[in-house]
Amino acid sequence: MAWRQGRCIRTGVVLALCAALGTLAWGGSARAQSAAQSRGHSLIIVQAQDPQNWDPIATFLLSWGMVGSNIFDALVDRGPDLKIRPGLATSWKWVGANVLQFKLRRGVTFHDGEPFNADAVKFTFDRLLGPEGAKGPQQGNYKSIDHVQVVDPYTVNFVMKEEDPVIITKLAGYGAMIVPPKYVQEHGSAYFGANPVGTGPFKFVEYRKDDHLTLAANPSYWAGAPKLSVVTYRFVPEAATRVAELQAGRADIAQAVPVSQANVVKNDANLTLMPVGSPTVTEIRFDPSKAPAGDVRFRKAVISAIDVQAIIQSILAGYGHRVSTFQSPLSFGNDPSLKPYPYDPGQAKQLLAEAGVKSGTEVTLSFPSNNADFREAAQAMVSYLQAVGLRLTLQPVEQVTYFSDTVPHAKTGQLYEFGWGGWTLDFDNTAYLLYHKGEYWNPVFSDADVEKYLVAERSTNVQRARLAAFMQLDRRLYDLAIDFPLWQQVNLWGVNKRVQGFTAPPDDRVRLLAVSVK
Amino acid sequence: MTRFVAARAGGAAAVLAAISLFVAFGIRLTGDPAVAMFEGAGAPSVQDVQRMHQALGTDRPFLVQYAAFAGAALRGDLGTSFRSGEPVSALIAARAGATLALAVGGMAVALAVAFPLGTYAAMHRDALADFLIRVGSLLGLSFPNFWLAIMLILIFAVRVRWFPPSGYSGPASLVLPCLTLGVILASTLVRLVRASLLDTLGQPYIRTARAKGMPERLVIVRHGLRNALLPVVTFIGLQFGGLLGGVVILENVFAWPGLGQLALEAVSYRDYPVVQGVVVVLALGVVAVNLLVDLSYGLLNPRVRVG
Repeated sequence: MAWRQGRCIRTGVVLALCAALGTLAWGGSARAQSAAQSRGHSLIIVQAQDPQNWDPIATFLLSWGMVGSNIFDALVDRGPDLKIRPGLATSWKWVGANVLQFKLRRGVTFHDGEPFNADAVKFTFDRLLGPEGAKGPQQGNYKSIDHVQVVDPYTVNFVMKEEDPVIITKLAGYGAMIVPPKYVQEHGSAYFGANPVGTGPFKFVEYRKDDHLTLAANPSYWAGAPKLSVVTYRFVPEAATRVAELQAGRADIAQAVPVSQANVVKNDANLTLMPVGSPTVTEIRFDPSKAPAGDVRFRKAVISAIDVQAIIQSILAGYGHRVSTFQSPLSFGNDPSLKPYPYDPGQAKQLLAEAGVKSGTEVTLSFPSNNADFREAAQAMVSYLQAVGLRLTLQPVEQVTYFSDTVPHAKTGQLYEFGWGGWTLDFDNTAYLLYHKGEYWNPVFSDADVEKYLVAERSTNVQRARLAAFMQLDRRLYDLAIDFPLWQQVNLWGVNKRVQGFTAPPDDRVRLLAVSVK
Repeated sequence: MTRFVAARAGGAAAVLAAISLFVAFGIRLTGDPAVAMFEGAGAPSVQDVQRMHQALGTDRPFLVQYAAFAGAALRGDLGTSFRSGEPVSALIAARAGATLALAVGGMAVALAVAFPLGTYAAMHRDALADFLIRVGSLLGLSFPNFWLAIMLILIFAVRVRWFPPSGYSGPASLVLPCLTLGVILASTLVRLVRASLLDTLGQPYIRTARAKGMPERLVIVRHGLRNALLPVVTFIGLQFGGLLGGVVILENVFAWPGLGQLALEAVSYRDYPVVQGVVVVLALGVVAVNLLVDLSYGLLNPRVRVG
């Protein structure tokens, strides 16, 4: 009897606990939203990575751009519409064959009170092009600049040592963010990297590595005061945890929502899923030095044998756009008239027969092992190629090893994956570094026509002439089928509905000046 | 005792030297920090890579690089991070507290769960409770730690919202990571406590204690548990190294700013000084804990006391 009584009590306790949990769970969504609203005019962003160093010349990471674009300004700016507009320079013009002159904005101060002027611009570029910049990845982007000359306190000349038709766009890049000379000299680069000071709409407050960084509004910002009072970036590497933070109302914006979690965000009454096409394109490259990839018929057979659209629909849940060359539609130099080769396994078999490739021929596809989406796509490709008589072996390689050893030393299989962003959104950045003979990531491929078009687009600042050269280059690469362009990546952002005025940026450079919360 | 500690310290120094040499060599076998820094949107040219090797000092022969690291480490300087430009010792110091809190918290949960349950199961051998505890332990062992972590986040942070899903922001943020770690550790520990106690309870001195009329509770605590502790303490010491491995994954899931995340990022970017520094410090921790375990044997059982 006592045992029965005990069991009844225990059962009652368990049921009561379940009821309590159920009630709490049922009210979770409403409580999540009230938690978000309790933050008032402060905003929390969860992003995947902490770049560890906020010095603009020390990084290439998109995670830097998400934060740094709100702390720093450059002479020119590239907004979410990806158009170039004035930044700390109000105007610019070529005043000689190799001299680009900028007129600077007056009355701007750095967050520490130091004035912005021509000396700050000169200091920024002397530092970038000198020994300090040599330690980071940004210096190489600006090697066309010989030096910066101060004309007067609000005028500077960029003296170029070689033609660089993309220089204006590059001056909106991370490495060209203007830094405060006195502050950097007094405190040193390591301190500056952990306590950044710029002229941007938000100023640095606090940084705890691998945890969070906090910014406060800069009320005297030259383009007007921000609407938000405080912005906190939290670094949450695990995607499921980022989405959980958003669902729990502890974050307002989550970067890099994985495809597998897209519906979780979409179906949450408090959240909006914002997909945006990014500059990043994923493709398979062929190594023509490894048989049978040297034969264009084999390359076209592989391209015809794989239904990329079906892979995009099934593995990427539709979050990807097909591309015909190794650039996104956002890129200057993209030829929209070129259409991707159609999926046609019959054509693939015929091309393989013409190329003398026997059924059962083994080919290898190398790819960085951390790319989960591509790994799934590659597994589907095994079946597609098997259907036309090719045996595809998958060779995943650790990412850093892949990019610093496997690709540059031509240790890949006949096929290998490559993803590319082209940060300038100009095909030059992709084309020259990946198709020009002898470049770090192009140890094998060369073609006389391709070289000719690359020289042509680089030898003039006349954009129309460059575009014409790119159209010829696109066609030549398309005909050679040296790559198998797969899809333009679509980035997914999760945003709480209380956030107003937020535009998901294609290049991850979140601009918060116009963002508010209700 | 002094001679024993000195001998162990000498052995530990040799182990640390071997580990640091192995790690410094191993991390340089694959991957290039100069190329890793271009991740994002850049492509290095051959000249860019050469320039960065010079600037980072990675163009020097391996033995020169290692000698510079070892010499400086002996003076307490673990070098400077390639990525952040900050001293490695400062990076480690800033994160050690978070990792220690997680490791100690997880171990505390494990001990708090494993000792009562293991003891109860041993005292009620083959009863329903024993069976349920063993099944529970098997379940705990079967959960991959990242899966358990995400389930706990979904239930306790997203649904009922009792605790924050991630971050390091006060005592509440410790609960889910420590619980995850504790459950996983406890699953093994509970079986060990049970088995060890069962073995001890079958010893003649337990029969003698009972025959003397000593209350059962005292028999279990004073004679049973104390003698059963020896293999358990050994296990905890050995487990400490493995625990740090588990912490790396949990720090990632819970966005915990500890040494695990620092090491993971440093390996991803081939930040040689940080990898070397973190491994040496963690190895030092493992060696120190195992030394303490050896010394604790004497307290638990006077027959194995040294010197």
